[in-house]
Amino acid sequence: MAPPARYCVPGERLCSTEEATAGSGTYTRHGFIFSSLAGCLERKNEDNELPVVSVVRDSESQLLPNVGAVVTCKVCSINSRFAKVHILYVGSTPLKSTFRGTIRKEDIRATEKDKISLGDAQSNYLLSTAENELGVVVARSEAGVQMVPISWCEMQCPRTHTKEFRKVARVQPQFLQT
Amino acid sequence: MPLDHRRLRGPEESQPPALWAAAAAEDEEDEKGAGAAARDPCALRPLFARAGLLSQAQGSAYVELGSGTKVLCAAWGPREAAEPGPGRLICEFRRAPFAGRGARGRPGAAAEREAEREAAAALREALEPAVRLGRYPRARLAVSALLLQDGGSALAAAVSAAALALADAGVEMYDLAVGCALCRPPAPAASWMLQPAEPEERRAAARLTLALLPALNQVSAVLGGGRGGPPEDWAQALRLGLDGCHRQYPVLRQSLLRAAQRRRSTPPS
Repeated sequence: MAPPARYCVPGERLCSTEEATAGSGTYTRHGFIFSSLAGCLERKNEDNELPVVSVVRDSESQLLPNVGAVVTCKVCSINSRFAKVHILYVGSTPLKSTFRGTIRKEDIRATEKDKISLGDAQSNYLLSTAENELGVVVARSEAGVQMVPISWCEMQCPRTHTKEFRKVARVQPQFLQT
Repeated sequence: MPLDHRRLRGPEESQPPALWAAAAAEDEEDEKGAGAAARDPCALRPLFARAGLLSQAQGSAYVELGSGTKVLCAAWGPREAAEPGPGRLICEFRRAPFAGRGARGRPGAAAEREAEREAAAALREALEPAVRLGRYPRARLAVSALLLQDGGSALAAAVSAAALALADAGVEMYDLAVGCALCRPPAPAASWMLQPAEPEERRAAARLTLALLPALNQVSAVLGGGRGGPPEDWAQALRLGLDGCHRQYPVLRQSLLRAAQRRRSTPPS
């Protein structure tokens, strides 16, 4: 039987920074670790380092896309200069409210990862597909049928056999679900 | 006379309503005379707080004070905002039409809306230091407070309820904000009283509302004014208010813990 869970409220002092390191849902101040969420306290023991103390609210975790995160999005409008997308998933967790993002034309590359910033001047997240694992995952041809990738840059429609250019992603096997 | 079925006929006998109105007026007279002497200025009213009761909002809280003030507050977690920069907290404060005793001046008047806007700005000032807005860049957090019944110290109860609702919604916070109200009656050498009831607040010469972050021991908002006397009196009032906040904190904390346990045991559909 698991030991009874310890619940804490925001602002509750958990322990000092010498005994543990702060994980998610906590913050440090004056050499002590305080809780930042109303939830369950979790202590993870690492072998070499100090245990990590974090507060978990298991029902929802409101994620915001961070810089460097792999996101799954759906294109909502296309321009000659950029494409506007709705960011749906961050990693493998779905977002509750969709965020908007932009993929500029020059960011759709095969190599050379750009420096993407959250953008002080822009109001959208900037995305890039500059890696092998990033790119188009699902696409529909003009006939409305889902296309099959045939090379790094092309996808073919199985019904009309027309080829269209897309930057195809090589999805890692752990993300594929059958 | 034949019965007229198209009209609603009133009762056969009727009595003037003044018979019953007189009883209420007598109660008020009694309060004015005996209330000031009988009340202990440092006594806190009984506080009831419950978090996590609305299903349509991500976080919610209900706070009720013994004097009859009832505040219901709902909070929504980060949603995308168009403006760049750190996250923003949007507060809204509404008085229900039935909240005050007696007739309203004119429903929907500009003065009412102005008072609501001021209260919303005060709420925002009290809550902003408590929320970790830096963790939610470019997001918008919304808090909406509804005052169901005004029995005095409404803004203080709204601050506590809003902090509970935000914590219940899973928003990362530095601490819970606890609100406490004080007032000073117009008698010349009167002392400050904690958590005034509605008649006391109406007759007060000076009012003060405090918002405190108890675990960090930081004051997040001091609002109020009036003819309070020398500055030492105000300092003493502040100390009294801070003490009142510290005494209310365990109740709010307990309600939040219970809500977290309830959330854990019944996973949301």
